[in-house]
Amino acid sequence: MKPILLCLVFAALAAAPHAQTAADVVRFAVIGDSGTGGEAQYQVGRQMASARSRSPFDLVLMLGDNLYRRASPEVYASAFERPYAALLADDVKFVAVLGNHDSPESVTYPGWNMNGQRYFSFTRNHVRFFAIDTNVLDAKQLEWLDQALSTSQEPWKIAYFHHPIYSNGKRHGSNVELRIRLEPLFLRHGVQVVFSGHDHMYERLKPQKGITYFVVGSGGQLREGGVRRSETTAAANDQEQLFLLVDVDREALRFQAITRNGAVIDSGAVQRQPST
Amino acid sequence: MTTQAMHLRRAGAAHAAGRMTASGFFHFVTGHYLLLPIGAAVALVWANTAPEGYFTFARLLAFPVNAIAMVFFFGLLAQEIFEETMPGGALHDRRRWPVPLIAAVGGTVGAALTYAASIRSSTVPMFLDGWPIMAGIDMVFAYFVVRAIFHRHPAVTFLLVLALASNAIGFIALAPSFLFDGTRAGGSGLLMAVAVGLAAWLRRKQVRAFWPYVLICGALSWLALYLEGFPPALALAPIVPFMPHTRRRLGELFEDEVDAAGDSPRHYEHVWHYHVQIALLLFGLVNAGVMMTGYGEGTDATILAAVGRTAGILLAVAAALAVGLHLPAQLTWRDLVVVALAAATGLTFSLYFAIALFPAGPLLAEIKVGALLTAAALPLAFGVAWLFGVGRFHPRLHSFRR
Repeated sequence: MKPILLCLVFAALAAAPHAQTAADVVRFAVIGDSGTGGEAQYQVGRQMASARSRSPFDLVLMLGDNLYRRASPEVYASAFERPYAALLADDVKFVAVLGNHDSPESVTYPGWNMNGQRYFSFTRNHVRFFAIDTNVLDAKQLEWLDQALSTSQEPWKIAYFHHPIYSNGKRHGSNVELRIRLEPLFLRHGVQVVFSGHDHMYERLKPQKGITYFVVGSGGQLREGGVRRSETTAAANDQEQLFLLVDVDREALRFQAITRNGAVIDSGAVQRQPST
Repeated sequence: MTTQAMHLRRAGAAHAAGRMTASGFFHFVTGHYLLLPIGAAVALVWANTAPEGYFTFARLLAFPVNAIAMVFFFGLLAQEIFEETMPGGALHDRRRWPVPLIAAVGGTVGAALTYAASIRSSTVPMFLDGWPIMAGIDMVFAYFVVRAIFHRHPAVTFLLVLALASNAIGFIALAPSFLFDGTRAGGSGLLMAVAVGLAAWLRRKQVRAFWPYVLICGALSWLALYLEGFPPALALAPIVPFMPHTRRRLGELFEDEVDAAGDSPRHYEHVWHYHVQIALLLFGLVNAGVMMTGYGEGTDATILAAVGRTAGILLAVAAALAVGLHLPAQLTWRDLVVVALAAATGLTFSLYFAIALFPAGPLLAEIKVGALLTAAALPLAFGVAWLFGVGRFHPRLHSFRR
């Protein structure tokens, strides 16, 4: 009996590090401004499926403008269900926010898992995601966000929404009106990473007041030459449609920007700040 | 002498003396209601050069300006309109109302349909809820332009009824968004009844000082609207009809006699003339600042809606005449085109409706840019008046002057 117990203990100890690692990594993909139904979106979808075969993930954040045509079953099929068919078949969960081109009624579309809400939060292990509707950022939503952020105990707080509050995109750029409302909440409650779209390009900004901002607005759309690099730009791409693949463990968030052709055009890590 | 004439005379005297003193400049800009466009221009420059500072400032002042200072603007407007319905006022003869009322409905329908069609053909369906904004006609600037072109003429009355009805439609169309947004406190009807009842009692007691009406009844009305989720800036509108009024002459809107006794509503208007203008300056400063990158499909739709309103007004009047109604005497189709163009200006009212409907953000910014650009209808109305030779550009008027 004793040898059997010892074997079990050793087996458990041997398995423990691996089990802990798997549990402690939250992996997800990020796409924005994807819903064109065009070939580039399908290529990005295929690259996401390919990446998933190497680095399994079961969550995709959609940053808005998920459809560029009036929502209908056919449009959902051509600009969402078919481009990501392989991922959907494997029960990968897409969780969206709406962009300015989306229909308000899309909050009830089951494929985007918004459950009829324009803004909400959800948790994956040690990561709390805050999905914000920047189309209609009213006082009620800000109050909710303040409350939700303040009660969150997770080590990582990640916010995502459509309109970037920091961006060097030529067409839209930073939305300062939103920034003065959102940034104080992010700073007060320790949000460390923010994803948004709207500008049809990719940009990673140098940390702004300690927060790392990504603009991932080329999941289907692309504005070639759409970046006006500045001293706040850490990395940018306005030549290829792409998605972001993200791993978050307790200490660091690692990211790879992968184009529709499979090239990694940006990668790195954001270390969790001790205070958060 | 009218208040406006007084301001203009002071400004003119300063100018004639070869210098524009600060006081003369102030009288000039207040006499021409230029503080709003000045505020808007400053806001636009500020928002595009130091956006973080501007938007922080605008956010801080949004409530005091939009909910409190604007009470006096809408109060003065309500006062002016109410008095225009009294004997001698431009709106007194109700036989003149039907055609401009029909024009208002046609203009609003035209604007709303054009807006909806524009949004439906765009890829931004979220703007669809914004159609009530398109009912807004800037009563101050459209009035001044039509008045400047036609002086005392039925066109002025036509514009007033048209703008009044159109803005009323806008407020009614906005009401559901206030009623169903879940912010109602309930029980405010009683508070409003007390406010109105008290105003009626003051009237019955022949209280001629305006302060009790404004400070007591207005405050209660403000609280009732605020608690109910309605725009509290309209607080004085239900109180104004109870304030004592005096007759006025045609074309006196926004330009009033100084009351010698110092206690009548005319005194209210005189006293608040500057306050209202300061409120408009702040309104422009706080609300008109948008970044130029805010231009988008909502902007296009707002501009197209202004075109749709002009077309809707003209079509509605044509339909009214077809069923046997008549244009007011001396009002020609050419005059009407100029009035319809001036009525395309949304500016203050469109901005006000927009901020009541959309929270701060990208959607509101796009509509704001459109609302500001509709001000282009004012010089356009002048240009068309010149082209058509109507009003002050009428050839006979010129030969007479020569």
